[in-house]
Amino acid sequence: MSLLNNLLGGTFDLLLLPFRSLPPMVGLVVVSALCSVGMLLGYRATSNQPAVEAVKRKIAAGLFEIRLYNDDIVAIFRAQGAILRDNLRYLGLNLVPMVFMMAPFVLIVAQLQFHYGYEGLEVDTPVLLQVTLAEGSTADVELDLPDGVRLDAPRVAMPTLPGAAWRLVPEAAGSYEIGIRVGDETLTKTLVADSRVTRRSPNRLAPGFLNQLIYPAEAPLPADSAAIAIELHYQERELSVLGFGMHWLIWFFILTMALAFAMKGWFGVTI
Amino acid sequence: MRKLGRHLLALALLATIAAPFSGLGAGAQTQTENMIVMGIDGLDYGLVRQLIDEGRMPNFARMEREGQFGPLETAASPQSPVAWSNFITGLDSGGHGIFDFLHRDLDNELELPFGWPYASTAREGAPGFDLKIGRWVIPLTGGGIELARHGDAFWQLLADENIPTTIVRMPANFPPIGVADRELSGMGTPDLRGTPGEFFFFSTDRRQFMKSDISGGFIYPADLIDGKFVGTLVAANDNPLTLDEEDAITADFTVYVDAEANAAKFEVGAHEFILQTGEWSDWIAVDFELIPYLQSMSGAVRFFLKSVGPEFEVYVTPIQLDPMAAAMPISEPASFAEELAEVTGGFYTQEMPEDTKAIQHGVFDLDDFLAQTTLAREETIAQYRYLLDTWEGGFLFSYFGSADQTSHVLWGITQDPDHPAYDPALHDQYREVIPNIYEEFDALVGETLDRIDDDTTLVVMSDHGFASWKRTFHLNTWLLEHGYLTLQRRGSLPVKEFFSGVDWARTQAYSVGISAVYLNLRGREPQGRVAPGDRLGLLEDIERKLLATIDPATGEPAVTKVYLRERDFHDRGNIEIGPDIVVGFAKGIRGSGNNALGGIAAEFMSDNTDDWSGDHIMDHRTVPGVLLASRPMARPATSLQNLAAALLAEFGIDGFPDGSEPVTVVDEDE
Repeated sequence: MSLLNNLLGGTFDLLLLPFRSLPPMVGLVVVSALCSVGMLLGYRATSNQPAVEAVKRKIAAGLFEIRLYNDDIVAIFRAQGAILRDNLRYLGLNLVPMVFMMAPFVLIVAQLQFHYGYEGLEVDTPVLLQVTLAEGSTADVELDLPDGVRLDAPRVAMPTLPGAAWRLVPEAAGSYEIGIRVGDETLTKTLVADSRVTRRSPNRLAPGFLNQLIYPAEAPLPADSAAIAIELHYQERELSVLGFGMHWLIWFFILTMALAFAMKGWFGVTI
Repeated sequence: MRKLGRHLLALALLATIAAPFSGLGAGAQTQTENMIVMGIDGLDYGLVRQLIDEGRMPNFARMEREGQFGPLETAASPQSPVAWSNFITGLDSGGHGIFDFLHRDLDNELELPFGWPYASTAREGAPGFDLKIGRWVIPLTGGGIELARHGDAFWQLLADENIPTTIVRMPANFPPIGVADRELSGMGTPDLRGTPGEFFFFSTDRRQFMKSDISGGFIYPADLIDGKFVGTLVAANDNPLTLDEEDAITADFTVYVDAEANAAKFEVGAHEFILQTGEWSDWIAVDFELIPYLQSMSGAVRFFLKSVGPEFEVYVTPIQLDPMAAAMPISEPASFAEELAEVTGGFYTQEMPEDTKAIQHGVFDLDDFLAQTTLAREETIAQYRYLLDTWEGGFLFSYFGSADQTSHVLWGITQDPDHPAYDPALHDQYREVIPNIYEEFDALVGETLDRIDDDTTLVVMSDHGFASWKRTFHLNTWLLEHGYLTLQRRGSLPVKEFFSGVDWARTQAYSVGISAVYLNLRGREPQGRVAPGDRLGLLEDIERKLLATIDPATGEPAVTKVYLRERDFHDRGNIEIGPDIVVGFAKGIRGSGNNALGGIAAEFMSDNTDDWSGDHIMDHRTVPGVLLASRPMARPATSLQNLAAALLAEFGIDGFPDGSEPVTVVDEDE
C-alpha cells in the first residue's frame, strides 16, 4: 500500500505541478477531464454496450408510449411498469463497470483531497499540532522545530487524552519537517505554509490498510511507535467560481460527469 | 444650426425657471462630490475641546482650523437609539417613534396595565404559517423582524440622486432598510439568542454561582474532571422547529486544561486551538442543530481563558450572528457582511459589543474589559480601513462605539473625584484610557484626511457627550412618594420584580425605561384610572413637582428639564408610542436601571456605586455631542435633528426635515 501511495503521490505531484501557481479550479478542470476520459474508456471496456443501448431504447419507448396513449390509463400504468423494470436493468448493467472503476476512483479522490481539500497555512497565523500516544503510554513528547516555524504557546498536556498539543506559527512560507521526539524515537511531520496547490497532509497515522487508503499523503508512523497519530490542523478549503463556493469534491463530480457526457460521442460510448 | 441654437436657449431658460423648484436651485448648490461621516458614539464636546487645547488631538485641531468644530445638540432624551434616530430622520421622537431604549407594550400579556417592555427599535413581525409533522414544525412563511423606526432615512435621498452610499453600523437600523448600496446593521442588532447580548461564563469558583440570577449573561459551574471540562452553549431555550417543550438548541465544547502550562486546549466542533491564560480565541463558527442532519443555524463566538488555576474560568462572548451565514438580516446585500468577514475577519454583529454586563457582574476585571473593548474597536477600525481602501466616492457612514461603552465604565471613576466610586488608585491606573481612545480616533481622522481629495468632505460627529453618573433617581419611588403610584401593601419596598404589588386601581402614573413616565390613562391602559380630561393638569402637576425636587445629598435640583409629550415633541405620526413625560435629570444624575424594568427602590435617590460610572441620559442640554467638518459646511448644523439636512445640502439636496417645521409621518404601509 505504501508503494502504491508513493507512486500515486508522485504521479499527482507531477501532474499538478504545472498548475501549482494557478487558481485551484484550473488544475481541477484538467484532472476532471482526464478522469472523464479514463471513465469513458473504462466504461466502454467493462460494460455490455449493446445491452445498455437496448435498455435505453426500451426506456425511451416506454416514455413515448406514455406520450402516445395518454388517454389510456391502463396503457400508462403498463408503460410505467416497463420503464421501472428497464431502469432497474439499466442500473444492473452499470454495476459491473462501477465495481471496476470504484477502486481507481477512490485512490484518485484520496490523492486529490490532499491537494484541493485544505487551505495552506498562512505565515504568522497559528496552527495546532497534536500528538496522540497509544493508551497507557507515558512517553515524553518534545518538538524540534526547524527555522521558519516557532512555538507560540507552551505545550498542553492532556491527562485524559495521552499526548500533547502545541501552537505553532510559520514565520515564512515554505514546506517544513517538524521533528517530534517521543521517548527515544524521533518522528517527523510535514508542515506546508504555502497557498499554492500542493500536497498537504493533516494526519500522519499508525499503519493500517484503511489509514493508508484514506490518508495516503504521508508515510504511516512506524508500527512500534508510541505515537498513534500526529495531526496538523489545516483549514478545509472551499473552491469558488464566480462567488459560488463548494467543496472541491462536488466540483470534481460535476465536472467529471459533465465532461464525460460531453465527450461520450467522441469515444463512441453509450452511458 | 440656428434652430439648434434656439432649442438650447429655450432649454436654458426652462432650466432657469425650473431651478428653484427642482431641489437643485439657489441655496442648494453642490458643495462636495463625496462625503465620509465618522459617527463616534459618545464623543464628548468638553473632553474633545480640552484635548485639542492640550495638543493631544492634532487632527481634530486641523479640522477646526480648516473647517468647523462645535457642540452638537443631542436628543431629548439623550439615549443612543433616540439620538441616532433624530439624526437619521431629521425628526424628533414624535415622528420617528423612538423615545427610549425600552417601550412599554400595551398588549396585556402579564395581566398588568401593559406587557413586558420591548427594545424600541425593532419588533417581531406577525407570525407566519407553519406545517406540523409529528414533533417537527416546518415554517412556511416567516414572521421576521421589523424595524420600528419610522420616517425616511436621509440616505434615501442620496440613493434617489444615484449617489453611491455605504452605511455601516448605523444605530437603529436593524434590519437594514436596504436603500443604500451597502448597509450593515448596528445598534439594535440582537445576538443569536435574540437578546442585546448574553455572555457565558464557566467557573469552578463556587462564589461565582451566587450571582446566577443576573441580566446580560449566564454563569455556570464548571466541573473539571482529570483536567477535562465539557461546556454547553445555549442558542435558544426552545427549539422553534419542534413541539417539544424545553428542547434547547445547544452546542458543546471541550476544554483540556494544563495548569502547569497555564494553558488549555479547546475543541469546538471541528475547531481546535490552544489558549494561554488571558488570551482570546479568534472567532469560532459554531453550528447549532435544529433538525438533526437537516437544519442548523450558525453562530460565532470568541473564547477567553480567564484562568486555569486555582480556579478554572472561561468566558464566551454572546453568540453572534455568523456574518458568513447570518440567521437574521444584518446587511444589505447579504453578501456585504460576508465580504467584510472574508477580508477583515469575523466580527461582533451584536448591537453594542463591549461587554459592560460582564464587568458589572464581576466576570471581567477592568483589564479584561479593556482588552475586550480593544478587540471590538480593532474590528471596526479594520473594516473602516477596508472601506476606505475600496471606496470609489459617494457617501460613506461608519459608526464607532468603543468610546461610548468605555466611558460608561470609566468616566466617573477616572474623571470625577466626586464620584461615589472614585478610587485614587484606579484613577492613577486608568485615567488615560478614555483620552487615549480619543487620541486613537484622532489618528484615524488624520489617516482619513490624508487619504481624501479636495472633492471629499470628512465629517466627524457624535450623538451625545458624557457626564459622571454620581446619583441615581428612582422614578417609580418618586411617584410612590408623591402619591401618583400606590402599592397594595405599604412598606413592601424595595420591589425588584416587574411592578409587583402595585395597586393599579389607585395608580395615576408609572415609569418604564430610564427617564419615561406614563400616566395610567383610562381608555389607553387596560386598568386606566386617569380620565383623559384630567391628563394635562396631572402632567403639569407632575412637571412642577419634578422640577422642584431637590437631591437630599447635595441640596441641588435633581431635575432640570421636563419634556411633556405634546408640548415638547413637535413632529407627529408616532407620538402615541411615547411616554407622557420624559424627565431631564440634572447633570450627574440618571434614572435607575432597575426602575427601567418596573422596579421600585426604597429611596427615591441613591449613590451610584455601580461599575457603570458615566452616562448621558440627563437634561439633554448638559451633554452635547460634537460636530467637526474638514471644510465649513454651507448650512449650519446645530443639532442631531438638523445635521442630516445640512449634510444633504452639501450634495445640493434640499427638502429633508430639519426640525424647523413640524412633520407628520405617514407610513406607506398604514
